[in-house]
Amino acid sequence: MTESQVKAKSTPTGSLVSVQNVSMVFATGTVALKEANLEIGAGEFISLIGPSGCGKTTLLRLLADLIQPTSGAIRIGGKTPEEARKSRAYGYVFQAPTLMEWRTVLQNVMLPLEVMNFPAHERRPRAEKMLGLVGLEKFARSYPWQLSGGMQQRVSIARALAFDPQLLFMDEPFGALDEITRENLNLELLRLWRETGKTIIFVTHSIPEAVFLSTRIVVMTPRPGKIETVIPVDLPQPRDFETRETPQFFEIATQVREALRKGHGFEVQE
Amino acid sequence: MARAIRPTPSKPTPALLQGEGMRWLVFAVVSLGVWELGARLYNAPFLLPTPSRILQEFLKTPNLVLQNAWVTAQEIVLGFVLGALIAHLAAVLLIVLPKWLEDFIFRLVSTLNSIPFVALASLVVVWLGVNGIGSKVAIAGLYTFFALVYFVHKGLVSTDTGKEELLTSYNVSFAQRVRFLKLPSALPIIFTSLKGGAMAAVNGAIVGELFGAFQGLGFMILDSRYVGNTARVFLAAVCCTLVGWLLLGLLTALERRWVGWHLEMTRQR
Repeated sequence: MTESQVKAKSTPTGSLVSVQNVSMVFATGTVALKEANLEIGAGEFISLIGPSGCGKTTLLRLLADLIQPTSGAIRIGGKTPEEARKSRAYGYVFQAPTLMEWRTVLQNVMLPLEVMNFPAHERRPRAEKMLGLVGLEKFARSYPWQLSGGMQQRVSIARALAFDPQLLFMDEPFGALDEITRENLNLELLRLWRETGKTIIFVTHSIPEAVFLSTRIVVMTPRPGKIETVIPVDLPQPRDFETRETPQFFEIATQVREALRKGHGFEVQE
Repeated sequence: MARAIRPTPSKPTPALLQGEGMRWLVFAVVSLGVWELGARLYNAPFLLPTPSRILQEFLKTPNLVLQNAWVTAQEIVLGFVLGALIAHLAAVLLIVLPKWLEDFIFRLVSTLNSIPFVALASLVVVWLGVNGIGSKVAIAGLYTFFALVYFVHKGLVSTDTGKEELLTSYNVSFAQRVRFLKLPSALPIIFTSLKGGAMAAVNGAIVGELFGAFQGLGFMILDSRYVGNTARVFLAAVCCTLVGWLLLGLLTALERRWVGWHLEMTRQR
């Protein structure tokens, strides 16, 4: 069932990200991820959802080559994660904004461009454009610690976009924010995704957030961490605040909730 | 919205004390005045000479005193720069080396550090000779090195894990990791320890001169005490303080320039 759903949704050009039989066992013996299989097409918005300990962050970190799997194979555009990282194929947005306090907002967005040796005259206009995309052009000269948490996270998104990677990994980027800020940033992120055509893989705890953003939702369950099922989200685009009030929205949210329950995902809520 | 920068809670400051220069002037006048008055009342010039008496001592042989001060200042600055450079190189080297070697070298540094400095200093004078400033530079350098190396190392390894992973995702070289993350995030703690290191360099140069020198402020202290000229001992000590202040002032200016973000960030919190 899960497999056929995945295949049906793959794009004709083949998948951009391919995860085959990937397991991750930590030195402590914890099985963080068990035999995960997942195919992601270019241009998709995929959410990984599940309670703590279900392996969603582990899966993202495996894709990004921040850790290496115990067994199984991962391909990103035909490359291994290490090759993909070395060719700077993805941008990563962490749970915390991880901005450099000694750099201004603009300089933070320019950081990857400096590190990756972009021509000096290109850096500033590129960074300014990205700041415009997240609506922070007026704060270019501020320091990160002069901004609110939501603004800091927007800077970190602009930074991840600055070198124009086709793939964006986002690990609960809005997890620490209040509900109102979060819903606004959801809308902004969706607009960014539509405008840039990136492929986004997004980790979240929140069912409404996953339903609102995704083209497909990967439901994960803990002990051992595994992929329970993949739920397609065929809500029409572009989505807005009203999308959240439609019957289809609630229907899909219920599907996600039931899948989580089926995999005992509710037993280990923090 | 950007958080408004909170004004520092304002306790009223007298108009006279506005500005750094005025504050120094007031400090100097008050403390020297109290000293002058106290010493005159106490009236034991051999034990506690007055500031005016110390000034007279300076005016007797101003060139000689300045010459000595110049020698010591050279020793301090050269020793400080050398010690600080080596401490930074060592700290970077320590984080590149394999864990077991890092551990070994740390034991070595700790062992050397627990030898009384005075013993170490007297040996350095034996090794490098009494003549010239070489042995004194080396001792000032040693003092600075030990005052710094732990803090610089600590600063370089205490970087935020998230930022380290961010740079890993950019596939950076080690040199880039130091340049873009480790060094800038360590700079606040480095500057704090550099100020301590400057004072250590002053101590080191003087201790070195006490063990063997024919010129310099340390030599002046020893020489003047021998002939019972307490005012001149005080004069040498005052000169040391002034040299130390100059170095501190320079470091503070550099700190404002390079780590201004940190000063402002901590003030705001």
